[in-house]
Amino acid sequence: MGLKPATNPEVEAATIELTIDGRTVTAKDGVSLYDVISSTGKIIPAMCYHYTFDPFGSCGMCLVMQEGKKAPVRSCTAKATAGMIIRTEGDDLFQARKKAVEKHLSVHPLDCPVCDADGHCELQDMAFQHQVTNLANAKQKLIPEDTRSLVLDFNMNRCIACGECINICKDVQMIDALQFAKKGGFTQVVAKGDVALSCEFCGDCLAVCPVGAITNKYSKYLYKPWQLKKTTTTCNYCGDGCQMYVETKDTEVVRVTSPLSWKNKWGDRAETAKGHGGLCVRGRFGFQFIDSQARLRQPLVRRDGRLVEAPWLETMHQVVDRLAAIKAQHGPNAIAGLITARCTNEELYLFQKVMRVAIGTNQLDSSARYGHANFVHAVRQALGVGRMTSGSEDVSKAKAILVVGSNITETNPVASVRVKQAIRVYSAQVIVVDSSNTNLAKLASHPTLVKPGTEGLFVQGLVKSVLEQDLVDEEAVGRQPDAFASLKQAAAGLSLDAVAAQTGVPVEQIHEAAAIFAEAPRAVIICGEGIVRRSGGYQDVLTLIDLAWITGKLGRPGCGINTVVEEANEQGAMDLGAVPEFLPGQARFDDEAARAKFAKAWGKDKPVSLPSIGNGAHLAEILNRCRNGQIKALYVIGENPLATLPASFGVKDALAKLELLLVQDPFLTETAQLAHVVLPACTFAEKDGTVTNQEGQVQRVRQTMDPIGESLPDWHIMTALASGLGYELSYESPQDIQNEIMKLLPGYYNLGQPKKIVPNPDAYLSHGYTALLAGRYGRAAAATGREAGRPFRLTMGQLLYHSGKLSTQASGLIKIAPNTGKLRMNAQDMERLGVGDGARVRVSSERGSLEMGVQVDQALLPGACFFPEHFNEPPVKDLMAVEVGQVTGVPSFKMTAVSIEKI
Amino acid sequence: MSVGALTKKVLQAALFYEIWDAMKVTFKHMFYKPITFQYPREQRTIPDTHRGALGLLRYDDGRERCVGCDLCEAACPSHCIKVISTEDQDRPLQRYASEFYIDITKCVFCGYCVEACPVNALAMTKMYEYSTHDKRTLLFDKQRLYQIGERYISDAKKYLVAHHQEKDDQSSREYRYFFPQSVLKATQPPPKHLT
Repeated sequence: MGLKPATNPEVEAATIELTIDGRTVTAKDGVSLYDVISSTGKIIPAMCYHYTFDPFGSCGMCLVMQEGKKAPVRSCTAKATAGMIIRTEGDDLFQARKKAVEKHLSVHPLDCPVCDADGHCELQDMAFQHQVTNLANAKQKLIPEDTRSLVLDFNMNRCIACGECINICKDVQMIDALQFAKKGGFTQVVAKGDVALSCEFCGDCLAVCPVGAITNKYSKYLYKPWQLKKTTTTCNYCGDGCQMYVETKDTEVVRVTSPLSWKNKWGDRAETAKGHGGLCVRGRFGFQFIDSQARLRQPLVRRDGRLVEAPWLETMHQVVDRLAAIKAQHGPNAIAGLITARCTNEELYLFQKVMRVAIGTNQLDSSARYGHANFVHAVRQALGVGRMTSGSEDVSKAKAILVVGSNITETNPVASVRVKQAIRVYSAQVIVVDSSNTNLAKLASHPTLVKPGTEGLFVQGLVKSVLEQDLVDEEAVGRQPDAFASLKQAAAGLSLDAVAAQTGVPVEQIHEAAAIFAEAPRAVIICGEGIVRRSGGYQDVLTLIDLAWITGKLGRPGCGINTVVEEANEQGAMDLGAVPEFLPGQARFDDEAARAKFAKAWGKDKPVSLPSIGNGAHLAEILNRCRNGQIKALYVIGENPLATLPASFGVKDALAKLELLLVQDPFLTETAQLAHVVLPACTFAEKDGTVTNQEGQVQRVRQTMDPIGESLPDWHIMTALASGLGYELSYESPQDIQNEIMKLLPGYYNLGQPKKIVPNPDAYLSHGYTALLAGRYGRAAAATGREAGRPFRLTMGQLLYHSGKLSTQASGLIKIAPNTGKLRMNAQDMERLGVGDGARVRVSSERGSLEMGVQVDQALLPGACFFPEHFNEPPVKDLMAVEVGQVTGVPSFKMTAVSIEKI
Repeated sequence: MSVGALTKKVLQAALFYEIWDAMKVTFKHMFYKPITFQYPREQRTIPDTHRGALGLLRYDDGRERCVGCDLCEAACPSHCIKVISTEDQDRPLQRYASEFYIDITKCVFCGYCVEACPVNALAMTKMYEYSTHDKRTLLFDKQRLYQIGERYISDAKKYLVAHHQEKDDQSSREYRYFFPQSVLKATQPPPKHLT
């Protein structure tokens, strides 16, 4: 049912009538004939067609007879017009299609037995369906295979020149990395410029290739489709929550495929606004960590200073005894817990329940604290809902998109496809505010390069500009005149010239961006790590909400304020209370009604007593209390604070002071190496459960294979631990935990359909708005002042090919993007310093200095340098200073001022 | 009972007539050609179409025929075949079976795997003597299958001919499939641009 979208979704196309196989069919004008036929449920074979892009018309299979024409016509490239009389079946058409298959097969090698696409090949299916048995004049191309790319092999002997790979790369991904080239007498698909393919490696070309012309290097020749067990699950890397198929052979993950495939070629184009079903490089090629050799297979216990393997039962007894002893001696507040947001919802819920009830402390935190907490707190404060407010469809159909401080094509590549679709299909105007020249900025209509660290200030400039240009939405501000007056007063002190000077963006450009955003009927804000992970992130999100409010975008359909998150389930961690300030359902921990409800639900006969209010601690506070000896035992699930936080934060000292450091992780992380006990946990591929993506969709995670070694799912270990501590839990599967959550939080399990949010800022604007305004405008952007002698801004951030520290365990991703150990710099800066690619420099910040190599990065502005946060070799993170947010406790440590000198 | 009949009965009893009557059959059979034969001293002649133990074959130049396509595994009705294929490190772009198992205890000797094989790498032989004290040895691995194939190569070739898998021994060099990367000598002259 592919209907070509009109460029302007508001305009309805005219309706026409035509006859197909004797039936009268109504269709929209301007739609391809093939789409009209397939919308009636009739499937005509077509090898070069896919609903996500425009028809290409090269395979010659979609032939139909049109009355009045002698020869069959290609239905995909023919426009449906009123009054057409079409016949789609008949012996003549069958023979014509058979000829087309024979034409393709006559230059196609019959190497099906060695081809990876064997059994999953459209040409094979078509040859079988059309009973092709003899090939006259068959000849071979004998083209050598192109194995230059790191990830994909191109065997152009098998190519049928359908162009699907090129079209999806150009139209859907907007990367345009592939092209046709006449080479050796044949039309071949090559990387642009006929060099080794080096692109984003999303692998969508691999997914749509109907034959075996593009093959996956990581699983080449390892499988035949019928050997693999295919499990639908949700990707565990970022918060996009892409659905994917993990294909396994016994206990080995062979490959990952996506719902996007040549097999699903019939669909409604309008549906791609919600997602095209593809994956990114991390999801598709980063699966090797699941069955990695580095996985922990046995519990480890420290004996005589060394971690040695021990049986589960003995280890658990020891852990329970030591925890019970610490609790008895020092009280429950001598124990704290940290959990990663890559765990499932069930595990996050169970974790906070175990910590709060079995142990009795509110000292718990999750990795949502590293940034997403800023967004959730701000949005919850202002709008009453603790998550982003628009779905992917709103982003695809927006007329203006403001992307602030987010390198979205790198951090959340599949979410960025929605922005690209808005640009391509709906001609949206996109304002990309970032300190580097991101890939999205190159596609955007209004790329805005700001000086590093001034994204928040630029947003203030936008608000000021809206006020100055009088672009405010009278209806929205008219309802809250007091709040508007105080906003005006607060912004009065801010001068646009000062903003322009500090951000490096001319005043006219600020005015233009503000006008585009304010005047668009559907405008969407996306803020990323450049806002939420920086100091003052909470305030900057509130400023963004101000912007949306005064331009009347709050509550209007198609508008919204959104974020992108780094780990799969950061939203779930906030929702299910794996943070000290919230109980499940984002009920405040000090909310008496909610406390009573959960105390009753969690007790067997009588309500349990929850930890008292005021003793809770977030990540930074937990580490502080470890350091000063208040906390004696730390239970760390999948987190790795030692490798994440800078050395100046003293994590090592804090952990060294502990009497019991209990780490539960699939890998022996840096933190685990210091632990007293390490419990082997499963990855997402070995357990059932759900995760909540950044849009609030709760999606299933399914077990694809048996756990590696003796590792166990986290929920299993936590259940055993709680039972050992005297709080009997009778969960036998994640389903039991899920049932409990369903009872307590009705409607949370929306399974892919999040509840529609209607943001309502009225309560916030009429109460306490003025207090929160104090000091927000004109606040010197935290890291703008250039400290004397340190002219460079060092940023640590995410790479496209990696996610957190987890992806460094995936050999496929390390092969694409190894740790170069080099600082990325602007070419001009390098020239000025007199250093070439690979030369060594000394980088010094207020926290220390180190020697490292440098390399050119075209995306960076002069004065900026970058190092990926995934690698600690050399320990660049230790140059950073940590600033803990006042309101939300978010530690921000991704940016600092440095000096660079040649050695 | 009449006197005559009684006399006859007494006489027959005295002369052990019934024994002689039975022995007549025995003596007659001494002059027949025996149906049984003295296994294992005598071996039976087995027809070429016999479905015995499976063996893997090589080409005359010693290369493994198997390309690890896994069609035998797909065709096997009793799921006794397991193929693990990979790329040949010595000859890039050549797929081969790095491991190949046939659980002969599960095999039903239907011969579908031979039929499915596109390169005639599998064949059945006349070998049926593999009784053992250790059941584990009945999981034939790749090495064992090639041993069988080498030792009973003539049986295997006869089998393939008898089942119309191959025309004659000479044509075993001819592939049923065309593999651009794997052929040493192309069956057709390469196009002009490659010469």
